[in-house]
Parts: sequence; structure tokens; C-alpha cells
Amino acid sequence: MSEATEQNGKHFPEKQLWGREGFRDDPYIEAESLEVAGDAPAVILPLAAWLGLDDDVRRTSNRRIGVFVAPGESIDPLLDKLDTVPLIALQFPAFNDGRSYSKAEILKGRHGFKGELRAVGDVLVDQVVFMLRAGFDTLEVTNPVALKRLSASDLRDTPGYYQPGRGSAKTAGGFSWRRTPAA
Amino acid sequence: MYRYDEFDHAFVAARVEQFKDQVERRLSGELTEDQFKPLRLMNGVYLQLHAYMLRVAVPYGTLSGRQMRKLGHIARTYDRGYGHFTTRQNIQYNWPALADIPKILDELAEVEMHAMQTSGNCIRNVTADHFSGVAADEVADPRPFAEILRQWSSLHPEFSYLPRKFKIAVTGAEHDRAAIQTHDIGLHLKKNEAGELGFAVYVGGGQGRTPMVAKKIRDFLPAEDLLSYTTAIVRVYNLHGRRDNKYKARIKILVHETGVEELTRQIEAEWQALKESDLKLPQGDIDAIMTYFRPPVLPERPEGWGALAAAKKADAGFAAWVDQNVTPHKNPDYGVVTISLKPIGGIPGDASAEQMELVADIAEKYSQDEIRVSHEQNLVLPHVALADLHAVYELLLADGLATANAGLITDIIACPGLDYCALANARSIPVAQRISERFGAAERQAEIGELKIKISGCINACGHHHVGHIGILGVEKKGEELYQITLGGSADEITTVGEITGRGFSSEEVVDAIEKIVDTYLGLRTSKEENFLAAYRRVGAAPFKEALYGPVSRAA
Repeated sequence: MSEATEQNGKHFPEKQLWGREGFRDDPYIEAESLEVAGDAPAVILPLAAWLGLDDDVRRTSNRRIGVFVAPGESIDPLLDKLDTVPLIALQFPAFNDGRSYSKAEILKGRHGFKGELRAVGDVLVDQVVFMLRAGFDTLEVTNPVALKRLSASDLRDTPGYYQPGRGSAKTAGGFSWRRTPAA
Repeated sequence: MYRYDEFDHAFVAARVEQFKDQVERRLSGELTEDQFKPLRLMNGVYLQLHAYMLRVAVPYGTLSGRQMRKLGHIARTYDRGYGHFTTRQNIQYNWPALADIPKILDELAEVEMHAMQTSGNCIRNVTADHFSGVAADEVADPRPFAEILRQWSSLHPEFSYLPRKFKIAVTGAEHDRAAIQTHDIGLHLKKNEAGELGFAVYVGGGQGRTPMVAKKIRDFLPAEDLLSYTTAIVRVYNLHGRRDNKYKARIKILVHETGVEELTRQIEAEWQALKESDLKLPQGDIDAIMTYFRPPVLPERPEGWGALAAAKKADAGFAAWVDQNVTPHKNPDYGVVTISLKPIGGIPGDASAEQMELVADIAEKYSQDEIRVSHEQNLVLPHVALADLHAVYELLLADGLATANAGLITDIIACPGLDYCALANARSIPVAQRISERFGAAERQAEIGELKIKISGCINACGHHHVGHIGILGVEKKGEELYQITLGGSADEITTVGEITGRGFSSEEVVDAIEKIVDTYLGLRTSKEENFLAAYRRVGAAPFKEALYGPVSRAA
């Protein structure tokens, strides 16, 4: 993520972290490696750097070490280590690159990932509901309209969904057609 | 047919509110056109050459009279008095004002319709055989499954930002009228030896600049696994489909580049993990949706047999129309009527507000309140008693809707082309009109027999030229519109991509070229029973190329 934002030459001072209960402080910093992270208590490393850590370091470190995954990177190497990951940040380099939705579904739905699943990158208000339903816990937001709408809890959601899915208090727990058809 | 319940109503209403908000943000300037584009596309709004275009979903092409009347009302109130039925069984309006579109969506919601997922890189409106539920050759009605797929795919959280658009078609008969092998996923509903319902699954068909016929990856998928298997396919595609080049982003390219065996392995592996999930369809769920599609109780109307024979004897025009546009219904007292939207010299697929209202009236009175839109851009009245055929014919005739050309050379599919579309290189509609006029005489059409001409104004192939018995593709060469001809394409159960004959023809030459092809066919067919496609498959391209380019030409 840090890599991507640096490459784009963008600087987002107003970057904020949002979860279902509202905006919250973000304890994590992004770093290329543990060495450059200083003594930050929570760090997000690129996938390769994270996988390069000793299992021991990951398990016994007194800081939280999360991992950043770009859409082109496979999550397969993470799957047997999920109990040692406190946070996975899945990237949306552009809002219309939907690969991270499938990864969220696989991580949360199939593998029961218990840590924080975070959406980073081009997070816009019109996709927030999809992200929550795909299993994201937190969203890293920079877009001004998204910030405004989220502050007002104005998501323009539909009152129910046709698919089962995480992330919605309103989900009745199944497909819409499982209800008795109207007479 | 399917009726909205409270859930559907609330869902669509909320979606209209969402889009209303987005349109307001666009009109106020809060959203740029770039930011607005993906949002409007999710709601069927395109920006064309001259105006916005709104494409309204007609799920699997089934409409009630009330819905059709509303479509006519919208054409009159918000457009220029007509609408255009498309090859995906939808309708599009070419001239709505952006500010009116939320109002149009409100009006559509009143009759249980919407414009969701008629565009954008999502799962599009699911199409089905336009004779579903009535065709004499059908194993089972595929529409309940199309409806299940429609619901499942609506605002799907995982699959709303796919690499590219994604089209699913379902047929329930061996003879494929839904062109399933030209779709991203094609489903052929059938029964196994135990009499259970399931699907043959095809993946990776498509047209565009790289036409490909879908590959069968499963011969029998039990019906209960429909959603888990579809999810597996779309998930593998979402993760691995190309996003670097929009012309290589469809699943057909992934199938081609990965290889069908390897891709099938990936899909099956994904499916194993999903098979027993809550995507599994219990029989009770399937039955609940099927009750919506229960065939209507049709009264016995045996008097129609004699009445029909008498009316045909007395009225040659009626007789020709019955022979060409009425096909057998499961119930022998009834027929399935194709209403041609291809009047001689007209614009394929266009219908006026008055015509839509007339069809709505006829459907309510004579066809169990049901209408279908065919992917061949015609309308269908699925349940007309033979005894009522003459009355229906007279009504249609009065408003120019009784052209007796279903399946004939003037029943042309054409995309909107350069007259409307921002992508087009050449005009399609005027070429269709001139061909229609050239071959318009009833005797001549009947003599030529079944012949499907399909015209696209650019390589995106919205007019399905690749699968036309005769396909015409408009290209632009040095500032001039040029038309390339393909022969031998077909989109039925034996789907083939047509072969290019050689150099293209100018707008002036192209109709003559088609005539040469037709005359060549008439000269070499073994009998009237050997239709154009069969003759082409027997003799190959050579005689046609010779007729077009002369014996010495090495055009290829």
C-alpha cells in the first residue's frame, strides 16, 4: 500500500480508517520491512516481506504484524498461517478492480479468518456496502465524498439482499426466495 | 410469470433512490462524468453519440400486458415515441434526458421492472429461450432457473466489478433458440436417466472481435448445484480474468489462454469447496420459484382447427402469416405467435408506443397476459388459441405488425450502428432496410426459405454477425464505410462462427453482393428443403466466393 501510494505520487493527509461503528484510530503504520518500522506497535508489511519473516517472529513478536496483498498476488501462501495474522489489507488499486472481493469472500467465508480484513486503495462510497458484505471489517478512506457520507452514516443501502452475506445487520439469513412466495 | 413480493419491491425502490441520489450528484457537479460512468452503467444508462440511452431489463424476455403498456407509455412520455428491442431481450430508449431517468425508473418500479445490470462489468440480464414454457420440444421451462440466477446475481457483492460483462443464457430444449454457446455461461436444462433436472454447462462463448464457441465443461450438473457451480466459475474468472486489456477481458479469453482442461480443473476445485455451502438449492426453493411459472390453465378450444382451416382458405395473407409466424404450442388447440418487428424496409426491433400498447391489449385478451421478447428482436405471444388467430392477425395487421417473415431473409438482426452508437464504424440500420426492401416480396422470401442475416456496425458484434448464416460487419477504411461478409455462422445447437468471404463491399455494393450469394444458393441447393446453412455446410465457401469475386480472384 505504501508502495502503491508512493508510486502514484499521492499524499493523503486526510486518510481515515472507518469500521461499522464509525471512524476509529489506526494503530498500524505501513513499512517495507520490520527494520524500517522502528518501534511502531503495529505494522503492515508487503506480502513478500511478511512471508519472509520467521514463523517465530510472527508468533512471538510483541507487536502486531499485518500483511498487505495486492490484487495480482495470491493469498494461497497465507491460508495455513491465518492464525498468526492480525490484519490483512486487500488492495483496490481502482474501485473497479474487483479481485479483492473474491479474496475477502475466500478468507472470511471459507477460511473463517478472525483478524481484521481491511480494504485499502480506491475506496468510494458507492462500493462500501459491497465491501462490508464481502467481509471487510475496516475501510481506509481518502475520498472526500466517501468521508462525508460515512461521517453521516449515509450508505444508501438496499433494505435487504438477494444473497447470503456477512456484514449486514439486515440480512435475514438466506436467499430471498426462501421466503414463502407472495400469494 | 414471476411476481414481485414485498422484498423485491423494497429492493427496487431503494435502488431507484440510490440512483436518484447519484444522478443528482452528477447534475450538481459533485460527480464527474468519469466517476458517474460506472454508477450509471450499473443502472443501464449509456452515453451514446447524441444522448444518454437507457436499457431496461426484461428478465428472460417475459412481460405482462401491464408491463408492455408501461414501456409504451415511457416511449411516448420520455422518448420520441418508440423503443428498440434488443438481442438480449431487453428494450432500450435512445433519447431520454438524464434528469428524467430517475422518474422513468420510478415508473418502471410500479410495474416490477428496473434497469439494473443491463450494462457494466457485472452479470447481465439472464436470457432464455423465447418459447420457454410453451415449445412442444421442451424438456422443462428454463425460466425458473433464469429467475433464480437473476435474484442471485442482483447487486452481487463479490461479482459487481468483474473484468468485463458476463452473460448467461438458459435453454430447456435440444434445439437451442437461446444461442447458449455464444454466452459466457450457457446452460442447457435437461433430464438425466433418472428423470432428474440438471444442466449441461458451457463456458467461454462470445462474439466481439474474438468470436469463440463455448466449451462444454460438464454434461450434467444437478439442478441443486446451479448456484454453487456458477459461483465457482465466476469466482475463478473474477480472480484470474485479464484486466489489462478490455478486449481480452471476457472469460472466453481466459478459457483460451488457460486451456479448457486446466480451467475446468480450477472451477471444479473451487466448486468442491462451495458445493455443500448455503448456495446449494433445496428442492423446496426450486419448487417455490417454479410455482410462479406454472403454465396457465388453457381452456379447450377444439373449434379452432376448423376455423383456422377456413380462415386460411379465405385469406391468403393470413395463411402465409400463420405458416411463417405461428409455431406449435404444447397444447394442440393453441399456437405460439411471433410478432415480427421487421416490417419491410423498417428498423429491426423498433416498436412505437402505439404498437406496444396494441400488443399489451392483445396479450391480455388473447394470450394469457403474456408476451415474450426474442433475442431475434421480435415479440412473441405465447398462448394464442388457434380459434383466435385470425382476430389477432387482423389487429396486428392494422398497426403494421403482421409481417409474415419470421426466420426469413428479411427477419434481420441489426445493431443500432453509427446512427446511434459511439462505438460503431459504420451504419447498420440503413443496410438492413435496403436488404429488406430488395428481398421484400413475399414469394421471393418464401422461395429462399430460412436465412438469418445479422448485421453489426463494428467489431464488437452486437448485431451477432459472426453467427449469421450471412453476417455483415461494418468497418471503416480510409474514412469510408465498408462491409465485410461472413458465411456459414450459426447460433443454435451446432454453433459455428462464419467465415469471411474476402474483401469488403461499399455501402452501394453490399446489397448486390448479398443478392449474388442468395442467387448462388438458389442455384446449387439440392431441393427447397436444403436451407442456406445446410447448403453452405455441404458445398463450402468456394462457389460463393466465385460469385462475389470472380473465378480468377484470389480473394480469401
